[in-house]
Amino acid sequence: MILNGVAIDDTFAEAFGMRATRLLITALNIKWAYHAARAATGFATSVIGCGCEAGIERELSVEETPDGRPGLSVLLFAVSSKELAKQVERRVGQCVLTAPSSAVFAGLEGEAVNLGKNLRFFGDGFQMSKVIGGKRYWRIPVMDGEFLCEETTGMIKAVGGGNFLVLARGQTEALTACEAAIDAMSKLRGVIMPFPGGIVRSGSKVGSKYKALPASTNDAFCPTLRGAVKSELSPDTGAVLEIVIDGLTEADVRDAMRAGIDAVCKVGASGGVLRVSAGNYGGKLGQFHFKLHEIMR
Amino acid sequence: MSALTLTLRSPPPRSMDLSTLLPERLAGLEAAQIGALPLRDGSSVADFFDVMDGDPKHLAIRNSNDRLTHVGAAMRSGTITVEGDCGAYAGLGLNGGHLEVTGNAGDFTGSGMKAGMIRISGNAGDFAGGALEGDRQGMRGGILAIQGDAGDRTGERMRRGLLLIGGNAGAYCAANMLAGTIFVAGQVGMMPGFSLKRGTLLLARMPENLPVTFQDSGEHALLFLTLLEKQLERDRQAFSRFLPFGKKVRRYCGDLAWGGTGEILIFC
Repeated sequence: MILNGVAIDDTFAEAFGMRATRLLITALNIKWAYHAARAATGFATSVIGCGCEAGIERELSVEETPDGRPGLSVLLFAVSSKELAKQVERRVGQCVLTAPSSAVFAGLEGEAVNLGKNLRFFGDGFQMSKVIGGKRYWRIPVMDGEFLCEETTGMIKAVGGGNFLVLARGQTEALTACEAAIDAMSKLRGVIMPFPGGIVRSGSKVGSKYKALPASTNDAFCPTLRGAVKSELSPDTGAVLEIVIDGLTEADVRDAMRAGIDAVCKVGASGGVLRVSAGNYGGKLGQFHFKLHEIMR
Repeated sequence: MSALTLTLRSPPPRSMDLSTLLPERLAGLEAAQIGALPLRDGSSVADFFDVMDGDPKHLAIRNSNDRLTHVGAAMRSGTITVEGDCGAYAGLGLNGGHLEVTGNAGDFTGSGMKAGMIRISGNAGDFAGGALEGDRQGMRGGILAIQGDAGDRTGERMRRGLLLIGGNAGAYCAANMLAGTIFVAGQVGMMPGFSLKRGTLLLARMPENLPVTFQDSGEHALLFLTLLEKQLERDRQAFSRFLPFGKKVRRYCGDLAWGGTGEILIFC
């Protein structure tokens, strides 16, 4: 399959079942909502080393937030319910509770995960509970007034690790194409691209020559190793970048991959893009397979 | 389908406990069977009411009188509409559904209710949302909305839920309150929040006197009030008496004789 001069590999992205939640973070203005949300979703690029993968899903208008203030929705993904609960509590406790004027609410319905249930104890006995519209909220006194948070948020089964690789003539061309993809994918709901700017350059393979490491550099896609290893790259490929997608549903990931690859192909061969491929482990590890040709058909 | 209707023919000679007449219990019964149902005093429904078949999920009591007590007590689902006044213990221990009274209600309205909604278009007696004698807790959930005035000790020992008073509330409003929210749109009588342990007494106006065991915490814009206002706005027709909320409240924390973890909030 060739789209606008870009070859689409006949391969698939292999993704995994994860647990996810959505949080709605509001503040006095969007600037402070961003401060809280960026802190809460910081250092959350990969479950391998960060405990969870997280990102800002989108901005919320004042009509969409429970408290009528500007806000952001963020998504958090983890490999287990227990780990997700741990990450939510830590990140909200350290990054949202601490941010001036912030409040946090559940953005999903599902199995309950503690949100303010334990954070309330920061109130040292002065915290107050309010049940409004069937939901319990906690009012925790803080130095700028009160931190308002919902008691729990909902957790659902989700999909993590959807991906595609952009192979281009050079680093600049690969980055330009990926930025176009991220711009297109960021408009979609239910997905995040957890790496810095949504793009990752250090794609990995399973295993390493070093016993302690579970993963190591994806040598087959490293241009500087062409000739030294069994490379996947043609001689004119100068750089490869990857976009990893976590989504609330399989359809969300599929839609995001289509939007992203479509944007990459619009940059096209004239923009230095040569191929689009995807990362997988032979189909044996992940329960979700996103076949590029099926997605782009 | 119109409501299943019980029309009171004439005022009963004594108070009459209607706690057995609930939508969930009347489902599947014909008018004649409903008429034969015994009431707590040994009489039958047909001795006092004309029964007209209809949707059992909606029970209408017409020509009601303040001698009809325990209307909707322990109801779990459905709707009861009382056209006229009703007596004491209306919605006692309500656990779901909707009780609507177009007139006045007696003492202990909504006492011990756990869920659902009670709307009183007129006034309510003493202990609305409060606790029965010997009970440790009053209202434990749901919404009790009184459009008119409420008597003394409104919300006494209230544990949870939302109690709205469109008019004035009597003395000792929110006394011994454990948690929950009471909003009085009118004036409150003496000693509001006496021995308040937790919970919020929200007032539209500054009372003539506050107990000395409440201390001023200053003016604040509290976010939870926005959520509460939004909840009421969802049924603007029913709660228009309480809307819109002011932007800021003056907070008095107390009752400091009981730990000071409750509050009286007064719209600025």
